[in-house]
Amino acid sequence: MMEHTPKISLENVTYRYSIGTPFEKAALQNVTLGFEGGIITGLMGHTGSGKSTIAQLLNGLLRPTEGTVRIDGQDIWEDPKKIGAVRFRVGLVFQYPEYQLFEETVARDIAYGPHNMGLDDDEIRRRVEEAARFTGITPDIFEKSPFELSGGQKRRVAIAGVMAMDPEILVLDEPAAGLDPKGRAEILGGIRAYQREKKNTIIIISHSMEDMALYADKLMVLDHGRVSRYGDAHEVFSHAEELKSVGLSRPQITKFVMELARAGVPVNGGIYSVEDAYKEVLRVFAEKKKGAK
Amino acid sequence: MLRDITLGQYFPGNSVLHRLDPRMKIFLIVIYIVTIFTANTPVSFALVLASAFVLLFLSRIPAKLVLGGLKAVFIIMAFTAVINIFWTTGEELWLEAGPIKIYREGVEYAIFMIVRVVALIVGSSVLLTYTTSPIALTDGLERVLAPLKVLHVPVHEFSMMMTIALRFIPTLIEETDKIISAQKARGTDFTAGSLAQRARALIPIMVPLFVSAFHRADELAVAMECRCYRGGEGRTRMTRLHLHARDFVVLGAHIVLLAAVIALNIIF
Repeated sequence: MMEHTPKISLENVTYRYSIGTPFEKAALQNVTLGFEGGIITGLMGHTGSGKSTIAQLLNGLLRPTEGTVRIDGQDIWEDPKKIGAVRFRVGLVFQYPEYQLFEETVARDIAYGPHNMGLDDDEIRRRVEEAARFTGITPDIFEKSPFELSGGQKRRVAIAGVMAMDPEILVLDEPAAGLDPKGRAEILGGIRAYQREKKNTIIIISHSMEDMALYADKLMVLDHGRVSRYGDAHEVFSHAEELKSVGLSRPQITKFVMELARAGVPVNGGIYSVEDAYKEVLRVFAEKKKGAK
Repeated sequence: MLRDITLGQYFPGNSVLHRLDPRMKIFLIVIYIVTIFTANTPVSFALVLASAFVLLFLSRIPAKLVLGGLKAVFIIMAFTAVINIFWTTGEELWLEAGPIKIYREGVEYAIFMIVRVVALIVGSSVLLTYTTSPIALTDGLERVLAPLKVLHVPVHEFSMMMTIALRFIPTLIEETDKIISAQKARGTDFTAGSLAQRARALIPIMVPLFVSAFHRADELAVAMECRCYRGGEGRTRMTRLHLHARDFVVLGAHIVLLAAVIALNIIF
């Protein structure tokens, strides 16, 4: 078990698809895991490790075949009629969420979730503006049709639509998939800024070690529905062999710095971003210069 | 969920019926339907019903699956049966209770009607939809309708359209599932409120679905262009259809069945 008290957790959860048909299949088998409150957790695992199923279990879109899902210790399925309220507490941004846009204008699409929550107009406007700020949507496109926007902008609008619901827990399934490096940095940076201001709980599902090393506070590595590693970037990435066995690998820049160290350059290991590597290399050069003098 | 719909689905297998030439199957289904509607005596109806179950047996498809498909038309069957029983007048009065008169002919018609519908659904679904892959089906249709090209009917284009439509049904179902989940996560409630409110809750599903369907169609068109698709003219095929002995055996059996039904109609 984990030493922290989780904000949201799965306890011995099993989930089976298409029960009672020849296509029945267990997507998750007896999974127990918990996410700490007030931080960003990066949930990582190879394709088919059940990450997306977990996302849908967390906000009650799927009901576990066996086991319980708890928020602040309370079973979310205690009263199935109140599951709608859980969906307002746990926001979920699906993979490629740009396909869910439908309103006539960007502002109205972002306001759709808050509107369903029954908030008044002033509050909705405030939330739309706030969510737009975090996702980098400028007010000049508020009145545009979401279908006129570029792919990256649509993605931002879709994420803003869930952020505007101001959930206690926000789950994002591959929010930066398919974007260019600048778009990735902006979206993930925006999510981080949002978390730092709101102090809420965020779970980001991702394949990208690079992104998670930079933007997540804790990393959780899933393997066959089991948590194989949990900790900060340093703890998780120091187990290279284990990561490899679950189909993941350390960030490229980390590998690069390790190679430098092996080649005899006196750099420190444990570097997970290009920025840090750059500083580290400069530091080594500066020391060398000093030594030469 | 939506993906659990099975009615009218292809059920892969390797039975005699699966291996029949799709062109032949289209002919067979026409003969079979004619047979069903030719029958008009109890004995010939029994024969038609028996033949439907022989086909079911030959197809090796779980009977539960096929008969489960009948549930969908159960209400229609029950309704026509009731109408036939109470409203058909005939010569032999079986029961009279106040204004209600039930004649022998009425009961007979009701039973015949049910047999007809059952034979039609079981027979045609095991002969065609369950045992023919959508690709083979459209391919067969294209060949059967080929003579219409003389009249400038775009047969190839129609069959291509049908193939594409069938191909994208599972994709669209999956897509719909995904959009429904995404909107539920944003608090859409499809189960509460008045009829108008529920209808309005469908807008967030329909709009993204149409947008993505058009988008997909556009992409597919470009992909086809890139692979030099130019319509049916001069196009050769990867799989050529050949008629085998089994095709003629099954055709013979169907003709014998039709002849038997006609004979039984006359004798009894």
